[in-house]
Amino acid sequence: MPGVVETVVAHGETTLVVDPARLVEACIYLRDELDFRFLSDISATDYLGWGKQTAGYIGTAGGRDINSPGSWGLQKKPEAKRKRFAMNYHVLKIGEGAERLRVQVWLDDGEPVPTVVPVWPTADWHEREAWDLMGIRAAGHPNLRRILLDDDWEGHPLRKDYPIGGEPVRFSGEE
Amino acid sequence: MAIAPERARIYEGSRIPRPIPSVLLVPPELQETGDVLQVNFGPNHPSTHGVLRLIVDLNGEDVVGLAAVVGYLHTGFEKNMEQKTWWKAITYPERIDYVSFQNNELVFVLAIERLLGLETPPKATWMRTLLCELNRIHSHLVWLGTSALELGAISLFWYAFRERDLILDLFEMVCGTRMHTRYFQAGGLAEDIPRGFFPECRKFTDWMPKAIDEYETLLTNQKIWLERTEGIGLLSADDAIALGQSGPVLRASGVDWDLRKAAPYLAYGEVDFDVPVYFNGDVYDRYRVHMDEMRQSVRIVEQCLEGMPPGPWIADDRKVVLPPREELHTSMESLIHHFKIVTEGYRVPEGEIYVCVESPRGELGCYVVSDGGPKPWRVKFRAPSYVALEATATCMTDALIADMIAIVGSLDSVMGEVDR
Amino acid sequence: MAVKRLADYGLQSERVMWVGKGPGVFEREVGAEELEDRLGLTTLEKAVLWAQSRSMWPDTFGLACCAIEMMSIVSSRYDIARFGMEAFRSSPRQADLLIVSGRVSHKMAAPLRQIYDQMLEPKWVIAMGACASSGGMFNNYAILQGVDKIVAVDIHVPGCPPRPEALMEGIIRLHEKVAAGVPPAYEIRGVAS
Repeated sequence: MPGVVETVVAHGETTLVVDPARLVEACIYLRDELDFRFLSDISATDYLGWGKQTAGYIGTAGGRDINSPGSWGLQKKPEAKRKRFAMNYHVLKIGEGAERLRVQVWLDDGEPVPTVVPVWPTADWHEREAWDLMGIRAAGHPNLRRILLDDDWEGHPLRKDYPIGGEPVRFSGEE
Repeated sequence: MAIAPERARIYEGSRIPRPIPSVLLVPPELQETGDVLQVNFGPNHPSTHGVLRLIVDLNGEDVVGLAAVVGYLHTGFEKNMEQKTWWKAITYPERIDYVSFQNNELVFVLAIERLLGLETPPKATWMRTLLCELNRIHSHLVWLGTSALELGAISLFWYAFRERDLILDLFEMVCGTRMHTRYFQAGGLAEDIPRGFFPECRKFTDWMPKAIDEYETLLTNQKIWLERTEGIGLLSADDAIALGQSGPVLRASGVDWDLRKAAPYLAYGEVDFDVPVYFNGDVYDRYRVHMDEMRQSVRIVEQCLEGMPPGPWIADDRKVVLPPREELHTSMESLIHHFKIVTEGYRVPEGEIYVCVESPRGELGCYVVSDGGPKPWRVKFRAPSYVALEATATCMTDALIADMIAIVGSLDSVMGEVDR
Repeated sequence: MAVKRLADYGLQSERVMWVGKGPGVFEREVGAEELEDRLGLTTLEKAVLWAQSRSMWPDTFGLACCAIEMMSIVSSRYDIARFGMEAFRSSPRQADLLIVSGRVSHKMAAPLRQIYDQMLEPKWVIAMGACASSGGMFNNYAILQGVDKIVAVDIHVPGCPPRPEALMEGIIRLHEKVAAGVPPAYEIRGVAS
């Protein structure tokens, strides 16, 4: 299969790590040769701060630190990730056994990923959501605009350096 | 369960619009010569599907352009769940698809259990199956009531909601509240099943098939219903798969695909049920699929009532599950475990996983990344309604404005799921 | 002068949970004298208010989960037609009551305010559920923390989602307030800061 850098098998799932430049080639191979015609989901993950602290946003002056970890360290330091962002494409073969695969692409901040809309049309809104909430640009997407937030919203909320927002609440435990 | 005679192709080729798959663009010749009116079906409109905005271009009564604008209910679930411990985060997914709430809980809890490697006892598995099937009937009843209401069959709303209240009574009996039950816990159920539940549930399963017969008498062969739904909103099997459709929409287009049969989870491998598949790919077939699915769900609930094994309702792993309260008085370790689980929360080992279930709308998936700590690192829900709305433009080829309501209704989208 | 409570004016539906409960926020807001003035009604005013409260048509403003419970008050078990309210108007120009049922995102706040402005006076607002009252469990960047930041709310109904009976209680209290002459919220309070 073209473009595969690494194969990881964990928890009964197979993850194929693919070079971003050859992503579309790999997806076409999956769809046509291996019959993975169904794209379930595209999930983007931000690994900023991975391993340095427990989950939860890093926190800025304007945000809240709802569960200051204190003594909640990690029992085992997780392995560092290659780059900051991962785009995961979950594909499914409609047929015996419901085979699933995850295609994973690693990106830096600002690095675009080639669009897979020509391969699976359903990727349209998924890539728009990844752009809207995570700031990962899909190069070549026919309609890359914000979808879930206001058109004039600034920032990409699901990033780890974007504060949770909201208002300070009494008795919520952080004081 | 009846299956319509098979059709080889619903239409030739692909009707997915280009270049943007989810937007129907007005053809250039009409834009110059025709009298195209752009109308906004704003976020607040009588069709009770919630806050969906459709920008529609009309040429007389024909719909020549369509774009959907979503995001009016964006709640930031995924970011909120990153701030809470695993236990507290289970409360959030229910509100995503607020009509089939237990399926959302289920998918998140299954993801946690897979990462933890935790086995749930059989009683919990069977009870989860039963509740999810009751939830499927509930979701289809709400769909039926509201879709029929939009097309003019107003009285069906009251019939459907009468049965819906019976189901919510059952939920209240078991879980304590009508909606958003939060009954599933990592490891099983939150509490044991109360004693009066089984006879009440049996009364419901005895009554429900007759109620479904009532709805079918009102709609299935009724001339106006047939006129308004047959041949409308066609979607071929290849287009449906390319557009990522699943659930009743896919099955009405002729693809025999149900996650409960293809990749059984919970107790679905052990109960006997059929999967309705119809081949015309129109609104009427989606309606038939929903009705047949309700009947099959009643069958599954009956089998779960028969086959419910006795035993504990939650796993015994004290690192994840609270110890029984009586032990807290005598055992120091139980007290410490209780304290740690309640304040700090249990830790889920590092890893990432994608779990999906067959929600009443289709494939509901949950992608979870854990860093080994007490809180999720990333949670992403794959909502079937989000994907279903992408198919609106394809289904709307050669449609009238009155058909638009029928088509959007038949795609069964819940805006909470779309916007998360 | 001691501020009287609504119960002293004959309103039945307010439950006093403990003895010696002082005046609530509403009574303190309006003040003793004004309340006295407003509740001293002529027969014509009483008749008008009776009519207003007995056929208060809600607007179809269902947003999220609370909308499903709002739909169930229309259903036959929790029949709201008893109160003359089963006619949910789709056009805000024909509606009297805005039941904000569900979480209001910032994107939806502008249409909400627009619908509220399109309604004709007298109009009332019920914030149904925890999300409409205060943002609920979603204290984050996306959700408006309480719909009373943009519209003046008469009644907040707690719950997630509130049972149909809870919503009915809110509606009945609203009817009582209206029939007793209490002015709608836009006359006495603005929006929260």
